Amino acid sequence: MIRYLARRAAHGLLMLFGVSVLMFLLFQTAPGDFLSEIKVSTQISPETIATLRAQYGLDQPLPVRYWQWLKSSARGDFGYSFAYNTPASTLLLPRARNTLLLSIPALLISWLIAVPLGVLAAGWKSRWADRLFSGGTSTLLALPDVLIALLALLIALKTGIFPVGGMTSINAQDQNTWAYVRDLGWHMLLPVAAMVIGSLTMILRHVRASVSEVLESSYMRAAEGHGLPRFKLLFGYALPAAANPLISLFGLSVAMLLSVSLLIEVVMSWPGIGPLLLESILARDLFVVIGAVMLSTVFLIAGNLLGDVLLYAFDPRIRRQA
Amino acid sequence: MSSGDLGLPKPEPLLRVSALSVDYNAAAGNVVHALRNLDLEIASGESIGVLGESGSGKSSLALALLRLLPKNARLVSGSIAYRGRNVAELSPADLRAMRGAEVALISQEPALALNPVLSLGQQLADVLRAHGKLTRLEVNARCTEILRQVGFEDPERILRAYPHELSGGQRQRVAIAQALICGPKLLIADEPLSALDAATQADILDLLQRLKRDLGLAMLFITHNAGALEALADNIIVMRDGEAVARGSMDKLQATTDDYVQGILFPEKSLATHTVSSIESGAALLEVRGLSKRFVQKRMLSRKEFVVQSLDGIDLSLSAGSTVAVLGRSGSGKSTLARCVAGFETPDAGEILLEGNPIATAEKNERGARPPVQMIFQDAATSLNPRFTARQIVAEPLEIARWKTDADRTARTLKLMEEVGLDPDWAARLAGEFSGGQRHRLALARALAAEPRLLVMDEALSGLDMPLQAQMVRLLIDLQSRHGLTYLYISHDLNFISLFAQEVVVMDAGQIVERTTPEKLGQSVHPATRELVEAAERLHAPGVEAAV
Repeated sequence: MIRYLARRAAHGLLMLFGVSVLMFLLFQTAPGDFLSEIKVSTQISPETIATLRAQYGLDQPLPVRYWQWLKSSARGDFGYSFAYNTPASTLLLPRARNTLLLSIPALLISWLIAVPLGVLAAGWKSRWADRLFSGGTSTLLALPDVLIALLALLIALKTGIFPVGGMTSINAQDQNTWAYVRDLGWHMLLPVAAMVIGSLTMILRHVRASVSEVLESSYMRAAEGHGLPRFKLLFGYALPAAANPLISLFGLSVAMLLSVSLLIEVVMSWPGIGPLLLESILARDLFVVIGAVMLSTVFLIAGNLLGDVLLYAFDPRIRRQA
Repeated sequence: MSSGDLGLPKPEPLLRVSALSVDYNAAAGNVVHALRNLDLEIASGESIGVLGESGSGKSSLALALLRLLPKNARLVSGSIAYRGRNVAELSPADLRAMRGAEVALISQEPALALNPVLSLGQQLADVLRAHGKLTRLEVNARCTEILRQVGFEDPERILRAYPHELSGGQRQRVAIAQALICGPKLLIADEPLSALDAATQADILDLLQRLKRDLGLAMLFITHNAGALEALADNIIVMRDGEAVARGSMDKLQATTDDYVQGILFPEKSLATHTVSSIESGAALLEVRGLSKRFVQKRMLSRKEFVVQSLDGIDLSLSAGSTVAVLGRSGSGKSTLARCVAGFETPDAGEILLEGNPIATAEKNERGARPPVQMIFQDAATSLNPRFTARQIVAEPLEIARWKTDADRTARTLKLMEEVGLDPDWAARLAGEFSGGQRHRLALARALAAEPRLLVMDEALSGLDMPLQAQMVRLLIDLQSRHGLTYLYISHDLNFISLFAQEVVVMDAGQIVERTTPEKLGQSVHPATRELVEAAERLHAPGVEAAV
């Protein structure tokens, strides 16, 4: 098991390397850099620009720049933000924490709702319940995440109960810890709800589909024939047998939720990676963009690794192989 | 029925099925009548055999008794009464209490009857706990006891194991243990043998016989194989198209003259007139010399290699127009041999010569050349694309070989269909619309389309019920004499061997352990051969009487 995980982790590192190289190459081929916009200004002399360019290291060839970045990453800086004049990591890490503060609760809540509901939906026998279910999930699935976020904002505005944006109230820092946590939770509520609604339906449909398939199998009929209670049949027998593809989906849903999170952060002005990424792409703040992408990749790899561990724990057939 | 004349009050039977009819709503609004007006009674401790071809409604009966019919099935009329209570009107709680504790089911395929991700101990214990409160120790003791009863010597290991770690026969034993753990009064066994190899079949049959005697079980034993019922059933019901066409003891049924009943009891009789012509050892069509093939499985993160299956120095020779049967239990390497001969696998060592020339392997096969070796697969019916018409299926090899014109191909297709006993008018039907037996014929027609010299049949008949097997064997014999075909017939049982093959080769663990003739099979002393012969005797397999 340990060796298996070590191998998967090594694959992850290799993937990080690949992603970073790809990011450098993409930026190389994209037109312009951080200084392009200053060039337009007539007040700054070409000499100044050239000096700045040399100072930022933008005049170096690509492999040299990549090597510099690797060295900086080894120091934990992950390059330097041109726009903020600080190491990229000091910008990224607090933002990443804020993004996780949204994504992880949203992930857990989505799955905690989707699994029992999906299993029950698979067990429903009446036709109208079935139609209601697929109608409802299709509608939710068709709603773009932006629209859900905007609707959440609208609710906040109209009711005035919820904060319209941000992560904490202005005076939050002055309060004691308990009040601070409560304030934070109050601010998290709408963004997390928007993310749960955005991701829940897809997970729900997958759970229902794979459990339905298992319910058709002859071992489920055999178990029913042995007189097992219905609850036990659905959750004790069908769900474990259907878990395999769902666990793989769990790993993927980490990545999916992150991308939903970036969007919702921008719309609901949550100080996560989303707004920072948008801003630095527009400013061509090279290392911040690369750093943000690398962080997303790390989350994705971590999600898949977690999926692997869960698969190992759940499926005796995989346990035997590994 | 006979005790009624004595004037004694007839005791209420354990199970009484009266005038039961079940319909299935099939695709396109069609209705299939699975059961029609079926009457059935089982007294305590009595065992009833239900015998019929596939599609005769036997399995629907088993499911209907426990109210396990799929959603598209409908109880049209009739009633099922267990100890006088109507099963159709039981409350969900009463129904659950009846299932497993009173009436238990062994389903058709042991490989699929157990949940793959739960330990066997848990699956056994759950059945027990579903029908009563017991302490952990009691549950454990009962599980161990029942596993011993079905013939496991190390119950503790089985309790910890998962289904994929057991063989098919062991899984069937566990499934039987699961059915019996709550001490039911009635056991419904739905084709409990059909997915197992012959030796394992005989073991399971012995086990069921012993359990029936020891536990005083009433049993409803559903099968297409009359041989299995001889020792087990007190009374037999013969079914056809959802109806009971005959009933009575085995002796009584054997005496009837009904063609269907005779055909299902003695499938080999329809072949009895055929005598195997001995082939003078003429020129060898196929020559296999020193054939070896190893499959290794590498496991993740391990440098160790596991040999999964192997062939080890196989020598074999087939003369033109003959039939050689390769026998052995599952895992003996016979399918690998078939796949090598048909060119699907490239051997590691040795050579395969067809008329003195090395055969082309699949990758070397030139387009346009018509391969002289054709293969019919295990479960041939599923080797057809259900969305192709019969014409498309049979003509496909001709099209791949770009044989003549479209009109010629159609003409040949129709002729081939006629030759395998299918109505050429059905050429436009989709493969999915044919019955199992007809699809087998279609697969045969497809194999014959390219005019092969050698036909390799890998367990090609084992998925069929006995009467259908007999029909196919008759057809194969007929085609052989007409076209001078040569057959390499691979099988795990001895059914029809003596009526069919001139030579028998027995394989075990990748090697040929014995070469003999069907007539001398019975005198063999090699353990692998003895096992096959004894299994055939215990199962009363048709067509082996001459051999054993």
